[in-house]
Amino acid sequence: MTVERARKRAEALDSKAHLEIGKLRFGPPHRVFSEIRAYLFRRSEEMDARNNPTQLLKLRQANGIALIALGPTIDKGPSPEHFQFDSGARLSFGLTLRELDRGSQLVSFRYHYHLPESRSPEFFRFDLNEKPHEDPLSEPRCHLHPGLEDVRIPLPLHDPFDVLDRIFFVLEEGL
Amino acid sequence: MPEFSSQPFVDIARRLDVRGGHSWLAVLSPPTDSAVALDALQTELRSFLQVPTRVLSLETLTFEELLEAMQQPSDDVVVLAAGADLAPDTWSSLDLMRSALERTGPTVLWMAPDAVARLTEFAPNIRSFIGPSIYIAGPDGGLMGEAERQHRLKELEQHYGLSSEEIVRRAESKELPPEPHFVEWLILLGRGDLV
Repeated sequence: MTVERARKRAEALDSKAHLEIGKLRFGPPHRVFSEIRAYLFRRSEEMDARNNPTQLLKLRQANGIALIALGPTIDKGPSPEHFQFDSGARLSFGLTLRELDRGSQLVSFRYHYHLPESRSPEFFRFDLNEKPHEDPLSEPRCHLHPGLEDVRIPLPLHDPFDVLDRIFFVLEEGL
Repeated sequence: MPEFSSQPFVDIARRLDVRGGHSWLAVLSPPTDSAVALDALQTELRSFLQVPTRVLSLETLTFEELLEAMQQPSDDVVVLAAGADLAPDTWSSLDLMRSALERTGPTVLWMAPDAVARLTEFAPNIRSFIGPSIYIAGPDGGLMGEAERQHRLKELEQHYGLSSEEIVRRAESKELPPEPHFVEWLILLGRGDLV
């Protein structure tokens, strides 16, 4: 077994993920925005922590491409712009979509779930890159950072709502 | 016309969600881009209530068609669209058939602001279904403003130690890394064409 063989396998896995991501279709960006906002309202109603998704979630749309963002682009510590969890964890994310045939297609996402202070790992970040990296072994297109910026584990979750489900119902529940 | 409060569609959808089925409310359409606003209202209702939403025109459907459409199915969300020109006779007839309009799903009356007076005068029973729940279509509030756009660009420039001009240059020469931040950066710059 060599690292070249590992790279070949990583390339095959990444190609498969890339194809699956390319086939995914969503509603137009404003509808996805509305669905995420409704999702966050539902979750907020089940929690003690106070969040106002109307104020937290933002949409920017131009030239056939859209950004749906919540919280700071760069996590530099707790802020009122984050979505707050009962555990003390916080969430920020950015999702980008390209308009296509009266719907949209995924371009990229980053969901940064930051654990409460003194918990380990420090964070989990679910990333979808815009395109495959030249070295998919070290950087698969869709990956999870398990608290380490330079470690990326391939991620089979490509739907933004699947990622939110894991954050709200798995990570947060597991703390 | 009495004073009505302005409500974003997301808050109108939340109200209906809290009230559950059988509830009625009215939304006054904006003077311009009414069709766009109606589409936005439908989107919020679908997202929040997680059921199909149909728009029925009070001006084009016959009463028989309307009754059938209201009940089949009766558990989705129906938006009844009434223009400013809906005749007093039509309002009165609708009022007489009010019991047949009752359904298990929520009903939204989408009206031109000028139609409120006719609703009150010629359809007092439907007006009582609605009660105080008449809202003016308000701004959504979800759009990213210029100050926030600038703030996010500054955050990215500081974090990566690169200017936005350099990011555009690298994108044009296909040298940008594939990470999500760079896609967001280009969208914030209005250069989604480079993604």
